[in-house]
Amino acid sequence: MDEVIRLESVTKIYQAGSPPALAGVSMAVSPGEVVAVMGPSGSGKSTMLNLIAGLDKPTSGTVTVAGQRIDSLGEAALARFRARHVGIVFQFFNLLDDLTVADNVLLPAQLAGASRRQARGRAEELLARMGIAEHRDAYPARLSGGQRQRVAIARALVNSPELLLADEPTGALDTATGQEIGRLLRELNAGGQTLVLVTHDPALADNYAARTVRLVDGHTAGAVVRS
Amino acid sequence: MSWLGPVMTATGGIWRHKLQAGVIGIVLLIATASATLGLALLAASNAPFRAAFAAQHGAHATISADPARASTARLDQTRSLPGVTAAAGPFAVATVQTDQGGQPSGQFVLAGRQAASSPVDNLVLNEGHWADGPGQLVLDGSPGEGTNLGDTFTVTGIDGSPVLTVVGFANSITNTADGWVTPAEAARLQQAGAPASTQMLYRFASAGTYAKVRADVTEVANALPAGAVTDYGSWLSSADQATGNGAIMEPFVVAFALIGLIMAVLIVGNVISGAVVAQYHRIGVLKSLGLTPGQVVVAYLSRVGWPALGGCLAGVVAGNVLAQPVLKQSSEAYGVGSQSVPWWATVAAPLGMLALTALAALGPALRAGHLSAAQAIAAGRAPRAGRGYAAHRLAARLRLPRPAGLGLAAPFARPARTMVTLAAVAFGATAVIFAFGLSSSLSRAAASQTHSGTIQVEVQPFGPGRGTGPFQSPGAAQDAAAEAVLRAQPGTAHEVALYTNDVKVGGIAGSVRAQAFATDASWTGFGIIAGHWYDAPGEVDVSTSFLDQSGLAVGGTALVNTGTATVTVHIVGEVFRPGTRPYVYGSTQTLAGLGSRANLQEFYVGLRPGTSTSGYLHAVNASLGSSSPWTATAQETGGKFYTIASALIGLLALMVAVAAGLGVLNTVLMTTRDRVHDLGIFKALGMRPGQLLVMVVCWTAGPAILAAVIAAPAAVLLNNATLKAMAGTAHTGIPASFTDVFPPARLALLSLAALVIAIAGAVAPASWAARARAAVALRAE
Repeated sequence: MDEVIRLESVTKIYQAGSPPALAGVSMAVSPGEVVAVMGPSGSGKSTMLNLIAGLDKPTSGTVTVAGQRIDSLGEAALARFRARHVGIVFQFFNLLDDLTVADNVLLPAQLAGASRRQARGRAEELLARMGIAEHRDAYPARLSGGQRQRVAIARALVNSPELLLADEPTGALDTATGQEIGRLLRELNAGGQTLVLVTHDPALADNYAARTVRLVDGHTAGAVVRS
Repeated sequence: MSWLGPVMTATGGIWRHKLQAGVIGIVLLIATASATLGLALLAASNAPFRAAFAAQHGAHATISADPARASTARLDQTRSLPGVTAAAGPFAVATVQTDQGGQPSGQFVLAGRQAASSPVDNLVLNEGHWADGPGQLVLDGSPGEGTNLGDTFTVTGIDGSPVLTVVGFANSITNTADGWVTPAEAARLQQAGAPASTQMLYRFASAGTYAKVRADVTEVANALPAGAVTDYGSWLSSADQATGNGAIMEPFVVAFALIGLIMAVLIVGNVISGAVVAQYHRIGVLKSLGLTPGQVVVAYLSRVGWPALGGCLAGVVAGNVLAQPVLKQSSEAYGVGSQSVPWWATVAAPLGMLALTALAALGPALRAGHLSAAQAIAAGRAPRAGRGYAAHRLAARLRLPRPAGLGLAAPFARPARTMVTLAAVAFGATAVIFAFGLSSSLSRAAASQTHSGTIQVEVQPFGPGRGTGPFQSPGAAQDAAAEAVLRAQPGTAHEVALYTNDVKVGGIAGSVRAQAFATDASWTGFGIIAGHWYDAPGEVDVSTSFLDQSGLAVGGTALVNTGTATVTVHIVGEVFRPGTRPYVYGSTQTLAGLGSRANLQEFYVGLRPGTSTSGYLHAVNASLGSSSPWTATAQETGGKFYTIASALIGLLALMVAVAAGLGVLNTVLMTTRDRVHDLGIFKALGMRPGQLLVMVVCWTAGPAILAAVIAAPAAVLLNNATLKAMAGTAHTGIPASFTDVFPPARLALLSLAALVIAIAGAVAPASWAARARAAVALRAE
């Protein structure tokens, strides 16, 4: 596989007559790469992430992820695609409050049809790796922000996706906790995990991404590559 | 801010929540329509006979007089007798025998009347026009009962065999005649040599009991020459006959009306409090912009009030429309002329439902009004934290597909809403199970009353049900020939001759109708309430009215005077026979003296399996020949009462089930909106549309299973109580077989109605949720 992600001339218009959220954007991400997508509010960062995750469809252009054209898939196929190939980490965690930490982490594996034993084993391994194994039976409301984001990362990784998408992963955290999460993401990348970070925090991009793509008003406005 | 502002703001919310407004409107439409229909039917079944009797100025007494003894002038003088408030007549009466298409078609008592309208017995013309020339006949009843406009009858036994053409159908509330012709035609049709007869119709100041009517008639008879009054009929006989049908409907109409009203209260409360709760966030925003608590309440009442008003108005129209065919059928069944929805029902139903709507909305609206803006915004977002967590924990450990487990645990997050859903589904399922049970019970009652399952053919002189006059007396040879023909038919499995007459029984004031069978009649299938069918000499079965009026019980003995003999009989069984008139059934051997040729009423015939009824009738009538007065006809399969009752039960059950389904739809919709963000997360984590559909449908599955468990015994109890009440009004007990209509397997199957209602209500919002884009759902936080 040459690229994990390939966007070609992608345009997204939410309402006819309104300016495009993304306008003819093209981009590629190689396996094992960490790419940060930066830009001011309304620049199209979250739209780009939604299109890569298969949460939304482009108005025009093609989106290929993990070797699969996803812009033409139906809802059921997109759901299968997300379960197998993509893990998503949200700014506000998006944990399900009425499920325990362990049940939150297990959920994507159960939805993907993984065997009970296999899913539990993988979840336990991830909870230990994230340092939150002792909270496995707690509810998200009892955890700190950093702990919740660790749960969210564990949940995103439970199906061993090729691609991890993180939408402002440190946006709701204090500086120290944000750095913790940043280090964790770097560790994951060191293990070969491809990562796309959407952020407006230059420090996060500088410290953890090998390449930064800037978006302004739906257009790519240059890229910075770090050694 | 003016009061108009918040109202307009809230009204804008209706268009933003068109579906919820639509649900409110439709539920109120159904509730108001069912309330209107229920009230109309209650009014109609409450006293249809008396209402029609008053409207038609029914005759308290129909007196037959001999014109040779009482001249028209003498009869006219009776109008001014004390106690007589109105009178009509004298009308010439002709009793004629008729043929139709070469077959004997019975005896008609025809009265000669110039017009349908009259100060007494003001006839209702159902179809066609009044007789205004020779050869024209207006029949009692309605078309489509074997006779239609334009049909002809040939009058036999009169010179020239005049032909009468049916030009109209009319109803007389007290059945004063079988048909009407012009006065000149009535005079022409009177048979030469037969005694002439005239008819006087009276209304009296006091005619509430049989004794009072008898006393009134005696006053009239005393004012006329001796022997002038030859016979009379009391309006109370007709009232008793009509009440047997009308009053029996009351209990189940009341039962459905009550279910409908409770459902309406429940669903209106659920829909409206749900709508208010769902709008807390909006209210919070409006309050943060300066809305006062009072304005919030007004805004809310108007927010739900407009669709409610629309639903109520549409519902009252729908209720009136739905009531028309049912009332028309009911009118025809009672023979009481046209009935309509009473004006007070048209007013009371929508006003009541609107009041209910306001009450249901007021509580949540007041609560919203008194919440702080921040609280209102928070309350509108999510259920209270902690609720339902244990259920989710348990569901996660069950070996169920994960979407199903998530769905089953979800109702615990909103226990109040879940309880309302459960109650709505339980009421809906109860109504459906009750409807099936009641239909089965009534079907068994119909079969028992008409013996349609056992007696397929009746052989009567001049056919069944034609007129109330005396039967023509066939000769002994014709009787024997008829019985021989029946026995010779290969399709005959059973046949028995039935002898009928009135007898006196010690302890019962009036007469008792006795039915005596010449041979074994155990196959005729009378419904046994207690004891058994008689099987030995000296044993009889009796109706519930017999036991009630005599104070006797099964196992007791009674003294029966048949007119020619007095016999002591042993009561061995109570049989199903609705009505106030007491009945006794036995063999001609037991009821000595009844088995005379004069009392021979008809032959009952049971056919062998596989025998064609029409083929059998054709063969028997051909063998009897046109000269025999005996005619074989098919047994009726059920009365109009049962047809109306079944249609009504089906309609009411369907309405209640639809309302319950809409209640579920609304609840699922509210929950979907509450959890739209969670649904987005599920989708983002890879939940497929099919899995999401299963999860949302499972939100209602748990309450539906519980509702089924509640609905099954509730419906059985309701069915038994309703049948008991119906039987009480029909003056009869009920055989156990009528209530034993819910074998466990059938009940279990019927209980699935709860799941069907719940799934039907949930599937639409579940599909909408399943189709929604994940990104859209996530943005909807």
